[in-house]
Amino acid sequence: MNRRGMSWRLGALAAFVLVLAAAGAGQSALGGAAQGGTIVNGTTDTVTNIDPAGNYDFGSFTLDINVFEHLLDFRNSAKLEPSLATKCFSVGNLKTWRCNLRRGVTFHDGSAFDSADVKHSFDRVVKIADPSGISSLLGNLKSTKTNGKYAVTFNLKDPQSTWPLIIATGAGAIVPSSYPANKLQANDQTQIGTGPYKLTKYTPGQQAVFEAYDDYWGTSAKNDGVIFRYYAKSSTMKLALQRGEIDMAFQTFTPTELASLAKAKGIRVHKGNGAVIRYLVFNVVREPTSNIAVRRAVAYMMPRQAIATRVYHGNVQPLYSMPPAGLPGHTDAFAALYGRAPSPAKAKKALQDAGLDTPFPIEIWWTPTHYGDATADEYAEMKRGLEKNGVFKVTLKSSEWAQYSDALGNQYNAFQLGWFPDYPDAENYIVPFYRSDNFLGGGYKSAKMDALIKLELAARTTSKRLAVVRQIQALAARDVPIIPYWQAKMIAVGRTDVRGIPSTLDAAFIMRFWKLSKS
Amino acid sequence: MAAQGTSLRQYALTRLALVIPMVLILLTMVFLLMRVAPGDPITASLGGRVPQEVVDEIKHNLGYDKPIYVQYGNYLGDIARGDFGTTITDRREVTDIIRVNGAATLELTFFAMIVAIVVGVVVGLFAGRFRDSSMDVGGRLFGIVIYATPVFFLGLLAQLFFGSYLGWLPTSDRASPITQATLETHTNIFTIDALIARDRDAFVDVVRHLILPAVTLGLVTAGIFIRLIRVNVIRTMKDDYIEAARARGVSERSVVYHHAFRNALVPVITIIGLTMALLLGGAVLTETTFNWPGLGHTLIVYLQNRDYAAVQGIIVVFALVVVAVSVIIDFVNAYLDPRIRY
Repeated sequence: MNRRGMSWRLGALAAFVLVLAAAGAGQSALGGAAQGGTIVNGTTDTVTNIDPAGNYDFGSFTLDINVFEHLLDFRNSAKLEPSLATKCFSVGNLKTWRCNLRRGVTFHDGSAFDSADVKHSFDRVVKIADPSGISSLLGNLKSTKTNGKYAVTFNLKDPQSTWPLIIATGAGAIVPSSYPANKLQANDQTQIGTGPYKLTKYTPGQQAVFEAYDDYWGTSAKNDGVIFRYYAKSSTMKLALQRGEIDMAFQTFTPTELASLAKAKGIRVHKGNGAVIRYLVFNVVREPTSNIAVRRAVAYMMPRQAIATRVYHGNVQPLYSMPPAGLPGHTDAFAALYGRAPSPAKAKKALQDAGLDTPFPIEIWWTPTHYGDATADEYAEMKRGLEKNGVFKVTLKSSEWAQYSDALGNQYNAFQLGWFPDYPDAENYIVPFYRSDNFLGGGYKSAKMDALIKLELAARTTSKRLAVVRQIQALAARDVPIIPYWQAKMIAVGRTDVRGIPSTLDAAFIMRFWKLSKS
Repeated sequence: MAAQGTSLRQYALTRLALVIPMVLILLTMVFLLMRVAPGDPITASLGGRVPQEVVDEIKHNLGYDKPIYVQYGNYLGDIARGDFGTTITDRREVTDIIRVNGAATLELTFFAMIVAIVVGVVVGLFAGRFRDSSMDVGGRLFGIVIYATPVFFLGLLAQLFFGSYLGWLPTSDRASPITQATLETHTNIFTIDALIARDRDAFVDVVRHLILPAVTLGLVTAGIFIRLIRVNVIRTMKDDYIEAARARGVSERSVVYHHAFRNALVPVITIIGLTMALLLGGAVLTETTFNWPGLGHTLIVYLQNRDYAAVQGIIVVFALVVVAVSVIIDFVNAYLDPRIRY
């Protein structure tokens, strides 16, 4: 054998040994999930920007909530609690709000937190007004003033009883004064907050690494740190979870994957109240959906339970009003008017009383990928339900989100949409949808509704506000510009050694990673 | 020799000159395809919550409200300056995506190519050498099956068998979370970064993560090599110089391994260049299957988010890579084979 032949064989042998060694040695050294109290969370969410002034999406918010805090926060439940403020209250009327600030809080860079940081944080969100950002939520903010080192005053343009909820959103995330006043802190630069974790490494689309902040003013995190891993496909994330490469996954598996994971050994599917809803919007100024009889007939026939059971395997629940069940003020307004179960007889009567023949032809639009893989089945089930007993003849049409989002109000008469709230309050499920300046493009305008919404916004007490919220839901069910049909549950899937997940599943829809630990 | 050198230089210059229209056509096609796609990219990528006036402002800032020929001119000018743009959704520089995610794709395709060459050459050579034997039949069958198998399906099978069922190898990502969190990145090619850091555990972890995606992508590409090399070996074994070698009393072993095999491998160089495009296309699917954060994976994420600026930038990079590789391969071929001239 010549030297060349020998070296070729040795090379091949070395490569083979390397591969075998890699497979074997690695399994013992780094084969499992992270050790030492670091929780690895998988997600299919995407992050637009880490700077709180530059994002308005759930993926970015879920990352930010570990690093940045607000004056008020949903620290333990869906109930708002003092956080960087010790107290927030309205002064005189609902146009002026004052917050007393907590002392002894430090940012991750060691600098002290005070009122100048609060003013800077709110001012920059408004000034930057980033198109992907959340500045629109501060549309009612006239000015932010400091009152000494540890108090701030918010002056609003109009009275707003829900201002404390607004400052608990990403729009009210507190950053230090060192953040640029007129532009975003870039994703590759250090992010500084006061939260329970420091963000130590972020690689877009791949991984975010958080380390518990030793000098945190509140109760320290129950773990050493958290790592977010970003997945493009939930099927890959499912495999990683089953293999123990990640400890848990929050957002989002398909209904089929969830059903499979529920049966998997060593894995637990946790469910709690959710805030995401789906609804069908009508164009109320164009035929045939301008006819209220048509809209009411659809309301009578909406197969909510069938969609929840057959398509989503119980991971969503029927919804009978825009504000989801679990939020204060929610009423099952549609159930009261149209019943919980579909009623072909009443639907037919509604159509026939209006002089319309059955089966009545209707075109419904949906979008295939934007709202998840189950949407096709959801609309097939809706079609089946609406066509029951020959009430409707449904034509389903779909287009991808790029085209869909452009055309929905202008071209479609009945179309699917979904909503994730800016803050967990009934108001956020009402004002953007029913006020005359609503974003839906369905043409719904009602002087009575506008008056009720005005009342709700300026209500001085919670009980008065919620009473108006109930009236609004009743009116919305009568006018039927929108038919809400399901609300999602908040779902997180974890390996059995991850503790504390159920304690963070509530209507605030915040995964409080600092409350989780590994046994 | 001098004449041949001049000729080779002329060939190289002509070939380089042809790159310009080729790239121009590619860039124009990418530009037009992005414009004829339905929907408005700004509205689509920012969602329904952004007021129309803000959408209009962004369009204005990005130049989307200008006449199409002005947009086209700006687009070409930017690319000529090496500015591939900024993504709409997360405002990353496309050059940053190329640096970080491109390194992941480079690492994957490099190792996939090694797998493809090793498997393709070994199986192809032996299938050709032992024509019509069971080894040949097995090699041909293997080549056809793996070439015909969709890469994502092969990847899925590999994930289920080696990852889920046997539990030998990780099923996704470039490294385990802790390794990725602690590994200092200099090149963004993790195998190199782990070597620079002299971190054995990290290197082993990175290699383990590389095995399934690289083998999957490499095997599919190997299918092409197997068939090509087999045919070449069979043809070469019939050539006169092989007969002459045998007549001179050269041992059969030497004839096969030192004469026939070596000559049969020359056309593979061309095919390596051609399969580069295939490899990049396959990388999109492989990366998505294995959550490998390369350019292909990133492309899919931005497509899902309807971020056309990002998609346009990444496709342009893919196109330029394919053009560059094809030019290099043409040069190598022209150098090796004096008959190749314009």
